[in-house]
Amino acid sequence: MITLSQISKQYTKKSVGLDNISLHVDSGEFVCIVGQSGTGKTTLVKLLIAEERPTKGKLEIGGWDISRISYRDVPLLRRQIGVIFQDYKLLEKKTVTENVSFALQVAGTPHKRIKNVVPRVLDIVGLSDKKYAYPYQLSGGQKQRVAIARSLVHRPKILVADEPTGNLDAINAHEIIEILKKINDFGTTILLVTHDKDIVNRLRKRVITLHNGQIVVDKKQGTYQL
Amino acid sequence: MLSFFRVLHFAFQDIVRNISLSFMTVIILVLMLLSINTLVVVRAVTEHVVSQVKEQIDVSVYFAHDIKQEQMEEIKKYISAFPEVVKTTFLDKEAVLAEFKETHKDNNNILNSLNELEENPLGATLIIQTREPRDYEKIITALSIPEYKDIIESKTFADTQKAIERISLITAQIEKAVLILSALFAIISFFVIFNTIRVAIYTQRMEIGIKKLVGATDWFVRGPYIIESIIFSGISMVIAGAIVYAVLQFLDPYLGIILYSEGFLTKYFQNNILLIVGIEFGVVLLLTIITSGLAMRKYLRI
Repeated sequence: MITLSQISKQYTKKSVGLDNISLHVDSGEFVCIVGQSGTGKTTLVKLLIAEERPTKGKLEIGGWDISRISYRDVPLLRRQIGVIFQDYKLLEKKTVTENVSFALQVAGTPHKRIKNVVPRVLDIVGLSDKKYAYPYQLSGGQKQRVAIARSLVHRPKILVADEPTGNLDAINAHEIIEILKKINDFGTTILLVTHDKDIVNRLRKRVITLHNGQIVVDKKQGTYQL
Repeated sequence: MLSFFRVLHFAFQDIVRNISLSFMTVIILVLMLLSINTLVVVRAVTEHVVSQVKEQIDVSVYFAHDIKQEQMEEIKKYISAFPEVVKTTFLDKEAVLAEFKETHKDNNNILNSLNELEENPLGATLIIQTREPRDYEKIITALSIPEYKDIIESKTFADTQKAIERISLITAQIEKAVLILSALFAIISFFVIFNTIRVAIYTQRMEIGIKKLVGATDWFVRGPYIIESIIFSGISMVIAGAIVYAVLQFLDPYLGIILYSEGFLTKYFQNNILLIVGIEFGVVLLLTIITSGLAMRKYLRI
C-alpha cells in the first residue's frame, strides 16, 4: 500500500527531516510512528500528503509514485488519503455537516450522495446531534471526531493521523483511538503518528520508531521504547 | 458546472458568515470610489472652466477698407486649413458697423461722428478661435506674410498677447495639477485596496490551507474570492453611485450659477456614465481580483 525507498528530506544543509529511510506498509495495517519532537514524524506525514517533496528516494502509494507528483495531481492524491491533525484543522465558519461535506464537494460528488453519506459518517463518529454546530461550539474530542468524519467521508484506503490525541484528555484520547481501531477493522490502513506512550503500548500494533530522521526500530507488535 | 455553483454558494456563504469583514471591505471600496469620483468632479469642473476661459479668447483680423471679397475669402480659407483653428467667424463691413453702433449706443459723440461720414469707415473682420491659446501665435505668424501686408490692417493679438500667454500658462498649470492629483489618488487607491484585500485574505489563510489539505484545487479555493470580488465591486459601485448622485443634486444648483451651466455635473455624469462606471468597476474589480490572487498565492502553496 505504502512504500518508501531510501527517502530523504533535507530542508537546509544542517536541517535534515528524514535520512534515507525505507519502509513498506501493507494494506489494512495499523502502524504507529513514534519518536521525539524533531525526529521526522511530521515530515513523513507531509511527504505522504505531498505537502513536501522528498529530496531523494521514491515514495509510492497504492502503486502511484508521488515523490515527483505534479502540482495538478496533488488534490487528487489528497482526496484518496484521509488526514487528521492535532489541531483538527476545521473550517471555523462552517458547521459540522458543512465541514464534512466539504471534502466531498471539492471532489465534485453529487449533492444527493453528499446528503446521503454525511449523516451516516457523523453517526459513526457519534456526532449526529451536533450537525449544525460550529467548531467553536464543540469540545476538543468532538472537533477531532469531526476531523475523522471528514477524512473518512470519501472512503480513503489510508488514514494518516498526525498526533490526533495531542490536545485531548485521556478519556477523549481513548475514544479517538477506539474510533481509529474501528476504522482499521473495516480495512483502512492507519498510520498513527504519536508520542503518547500509553496509547502505543495499549494498541500492541506495529511500531516504527524514528530518531534523527532515521528508522531505529520497526516491530510488528511493538511498544514505545524511547 | 456543479463546481461553479458550489463556488458561487461558498462565495455568498463567506460574505454572510464574515459579514463584518465583508462590510469593512465594501466600506473601503466605497470610500475609494468616492475619492475617485471627487477627482472626476474636480476634473470635469476644471476642464469646463478652462475651456470656458479658452473660449473667451479669440483673435480678430481687421481687413483693409478697400479689399475685395475674394481676397477675404482666400484668407478665411487659408486660416481654416490650420488644424489648430476650431472656428472662424466672418463679419462683413455692415455687420462690423452694426456691432460698433451697438457697442457705442450710449455715446452720442461717436455715433454723430459716424453719421457725419458718408460711407462706412470700418473694414470687414475675421474672428479666429483656436484649440489652445498658445496656438494664436502660430496663426498670427501665418498671417504676417508679405502677401497679406496690405490686405490686413491690424490684428488684436498684439494687444492681448500677454494676457493670452498668461491664461495659457495658468490653464496648463491647472491641467498639470489635476493630472498629478489624479495619479496620486490612483496610487493611494491602489495601495488602500491592495492592503484591504491582503488583510482580508490574511485573516483567512488558515481556511485556505485547510481547504487545500482536504483536496481542493486552487480554482476551488480561489473561485469564491473572485466571486466575492465581483459582488463587493458591484455593491460598492451602487452605494458610491447613489452617494455621488445625491451629492451632485446638492452641488449642481450652486455650480450652475458659477459655471453658467444648469445641471452641469449631472449632465456630465449622464453623458459619461458608461465610461465612468465601466472604468471604475473594471479597475476596482481587476485590482481586487489581482490583489486577492497575489495575496493568496503564498497560502495556496500547501
